[in-house]
Amino acid sequence: MLQLSGVSYRYAGYSNEVLHDIDLRLDDGEIVGLIGPNEAGKSTLCLVASGLAPASIGGSLRGSLTLDGVPATGLATHELAERVVVGFQNPNTQRSGIAATVFEEIALGPMNLGLPVDETVERTREAVARLRLGELIRRDPQRLSGGQAQLVGIASLLAMQPRHVILDEPTAQLDPAGTRLVGEALRSLAGSGTSLLIAEHKTDLLDGLCSRILAIDSGRIVLDGPTATVFDDPRLAALGVEPPARARLVRAFRDRAIEVSVVEDALAGAAS
Amino acid sequence: MILVSVFTRAGTHVLFTIGPFDATTEGVDFAGQTLVRLFAISTSIGLFGLTTEPRSFVLDLERRGLSPRFAFVALATLEAVPAMVERASIIGSAQRARGLDTEGSLRARLRGVLPLVGPVILSSLTEVEERSLALEVRAFGRPGHRHLLWRLPDSTAQLIVRTGLFLALIAAIAGRITGTFPRLP
Amino acid sequence: MTVSPPATTSAPAAGHPVLTTEGLVHVYPGGTRAVDGVDLTITTGERVAIVGQNGSGKTTLVRHFNGLLRPTEGRVLVDGADAAGQRVAHLATTVGLAFQDPDRQIFAGKVRSEVAFGPRNIGLRGAALEAAITRALAATGLEGEADTNPYDLGYSRRKLLALASILAMGTPVVILDEPTTGQDARGVARVQRIVADLAAAGRTVIAISHDMRFVAEGFERVVVMRDGRIVLDGSPAEAFAEAAWPTLASTFLEPPLAARIGARLGVGSTPTDESLLAALGGTLAAPADTDT
Repeated sequence: MLQLSGVSYRYAGYSNEVLHDIDLRLDDGEIVGLIGPNEAGKSTLCLVASGLAPASIGGSLRGSLTLDGVPATGLATHELAERVVVGFQNPNTQRSGIAATVFEEIALGPMNLGLPVDETVERTREAVARLRLGELIRRDPQRLSGGQAQLVGIASLLAMQPRHVILDEPTAQLDPAGTRLVGEALRSLAGSGTSLLIAEHKTDLLDGLCSRILAIDSGRIVLDGPTATVFDDPRLAALGVEPPARARLVRAFRDRAIEVSVVEDALAGAAS
Repeated sequence: MILVSVFTRAGTHVLFTIGPFDATTEGVDFAGQTLVRLFAISTSIGLFGLTTEPRSFVLDLERRGLSPRFAFVALATLEAVPAMVERASIIGSAQRARGLDTEGSLRARLRGVLPLVGPVILSSLTEVEERSLALEVRAFGRPGHRHLLWRLPDSTAQLIVRTGLFLALIAAIAGRITGTFPRLP
Repeated sequence: MTVSPPATTSAPAAGHPVLTTEGLVHVYPGGTRAVDGVDLTITTGERVAIVGQNGSGKTTLVRHFNGLLRPTEGRVLVDGADAAGQRVAHLATTVGLAFQDPDRQIFAGKVRSEVAFGPRNIGLRGAALEAAITRALAATGLEGEADTNPYDLGYSRRKLLALASILAMGTPVVILDEPTTGQDARGVARVQRIVADLAAAGRTVIAISHDMRFVAEGFERVVVMRDGRIVLDGSPAEAFAEAAWPTLASTFLEPPLAARIGARLGVGSTPTDESLLAALGGTLAAPADTDT
């Protein structure tokens, strides 16, 4: 379990806090979505939940982060890496820059953890299979398209098999097929007990994937609840978040007194 | 420079004279020795560069005990230039799409330096923090050695040649020290 | 050779072909046949969305329109003239192409200077230049940030800055590569407004996008690509109609939810929320404004 309690965070060298009094709890096997307008603090929250803020980038944290019962404050960054990984949306920065092939790139994480060779290879193969990267394993990581590089970046994190995975806009560069692929991979990952926090604009993706959604605005959690409840909340528009197509249409039908029950079955069928 | 030493070494056996300068056998001897030494050094460096795959070299060093962090720095340095070239090419396209003239007068092309070089440097610098975070996430900072996936192929023949060369080196040094190294007449 | 400033932003008579490809083939040095025989004509003032999975040739295709890529076979006509003889810097007066990654072009210390770069290159000066910059900043919501350092803006606003730097060039044709990725709802709404305003001014807009809703709502023509070829070319109603679903599936695309519901209910092709609602009856209120 990953838990943030009463967390406020200020970046090093800045006078104002950008996160205020955040409470967040991720249980094993849970997939939680994080939504909010840009510059509301989604990325900062991802950094803080991974422990890298402040362990790596400094700054000051009030409140606490606990990982599986262990407070994060005492942990070195490589110890954090054994428990929780965080991925960002820019595939260029997620790449190590030293791997000659995609297979090596994905293998670097487990290798760095000091695992024996068989274990490293096993984990790499599993990550490659999860994200269907089989055809790319011999390619040069520098020569991939943005979408391919993003998938490799995610695989590189999954290969480390951490208990907690935090992803900041993991499908930004992906086409609809890639987005669906990532959704399936993450669902199966949660099925084996990994907890996931995913920050995304694509609410349709989150709709099918998450059990719970958190909405953040100006550094505060303003909504926290089951997916359907949050996505039906009329405050989303004011927050600058586009609800998923399903929720949007249901609300439009209700507003215009169109019989929702007539279309509900169509919705259920069409949205699958 | 080496030729000059033919004339400038103090010596007694004069071979020929050009103006005020005497070419001596001692000078020729010295010049010859310097040439041979320079040749030996530059050839060995060249041979090393031509026969050694840089990545394999770094990884083998790590296998023999070099810290993974040093290995990372070495490998990243090797990859830095191709990565930057790739980046520069995309930047070039984007700026040309904004009307930057890369084929016109020299003045026009000079004005293009900042829009072409600026983003390379700026984007590299701004990416540094996120890059290093991503590295930490993947445990690059973990102390202790790791079990490398790579194995450098090493045959018995190579081992024999290496041992032979090493013994020859010992013999050469010993010969030089004890003065029993064969000399030219 | 100096590059002359573009004509006024109002375009020549609508319906006149502004971009044409004839049997266009592009093979990359490694051998990849990214564009495999494309015949496409885009007329002035059209709003065209190009869609298809990654690797279907969309980006390769549009880079021929401003000369960044040259055909391996076939030809490309820009405003009636063969692009072959024209330099990229010259074609840039007609065709503005906004790249996906803003960090691969930003070099100025101020937002204003960054936006000025493009129009300045193609010959705008003085009052015309100032006006172009001001309009572009207003359209992208950056008017308050004229003196800000671009890297003090977040990534999504830097994307809008890159867009502004192309808008300011006032080109008759504007090509946008994935303009909505990374944008929140307000950002997407802003891009939608920009597309609509460009079209209202008679300029031609081409967008590559993965966002089927953005495509269905904002564009009058959808070009679907697969393996370097065009497999579907029609209005959103045609491209997202049930008959087209197998073709869409072959390039791993799905029609918007509104289209799927409309098909299930048998009310015809309803690619957008509005068309679905209209087909089902009920009065339509004005769409809520997500502006601040």
